[in-house]
Amino acid sequence: MNKLLFNPIRLKIMSSLINNSECDFNYLKKITESTQGNLSIQLKKLKEEKYINIKKKFINNYPKTSCSITEKGKIKFEEFFKNLITLKENGK
Amino acid sequence: MNSSRDQIEAIASVINNTRENLKPLSINFIFWGCLVIVMSLFNYAFPSLIESTQYGDVLFWTVLPLIGMILTIYYNIKYRNKTGYETYLNRVIKIIWGVFNLSWIYIIALSFTIKSFHPVPPILFLLGMILIITGLIIKFKPITLGGIFLTIFTFYLNFNPGINLLLVNIIGVSLGMLVPGLSLFYSKPHNKSDE
Repeated sequence: MNKLLFNPIRLKIMSSLINNSECDFNYLKKITESTQGNLSIQLKKLKEEKYINIKKKFINNYPKTSCSITEKGKIKFEEFFKNLITLKENGK
Repeated sequence: MNSSRDQIEAIASVINNTRENLKPLSINFIFWGCLVIVMSLFNYAFPSLIESTQYGDVLFWTVLPLIGMILTIYYNIKYRNKTGYETYLNRVIKIIWGVFNLSWIYIIALSFTIKSFHPVPPILFLLGMILIITGLIIKFKPITLGGIFLTIFTFYLNFNPGINLLLVNIIGVSLGMLVPGLSLFYSKPHNKSDE
């Protein structure tokens, strides 16, 4: 199993990004129910592995971070999901 | 969250959290439907006022839609920032209507340079096509039917060149955009779990 996606916060981030073309930092914070610091660390790890892209811009002088999934991220998530289904069918 | 079942549930819960909200699209349709109808009625009722100067009608039919475009783009950006995410469906619709806006500018620019070229029939035809595509993508029949109606109506225009194009605008946009827009506005929203 992919260890990077085994983490629940990272898994939730990837699940959201596979479903949407783009997600904001605050939205990801809400759905992962994590702190700002923790979310930043998890996003950084996913970015380092080239699973996601992170875009930063300023809107009305406020920084805004938005994320999107990469092709590699999509492939890895699909592999992980298939493995989960196989495990579930085997009763684990 | 160690078992595969827990992880699948977590993925499903995140996916179900994304609502495929088509309300903003319906508001765009209603806005444009109303704007074009009001403009056409105004032009129909007060032609001397609109055509008082050489470029009066050109300015009227160019500046107001451009202001409308800026307002709708602003509204859509605001809505996107409020939700915090953009679904693939919304992105596709955004691109399609962006292409329509660019085509509209192209047709208007063409009508400035070629005097015998009237922009209304090609704009309505293009609008009909875009409505059919949008309706098929979002699986909403009234919009597809509105697009089909507009396409047939534009085809009919070619055989009746003397018809008043302001009335064409009113009928075409009412049935092609306003009615489907209202229908979409009052339809029930759905999320991904329904699919």
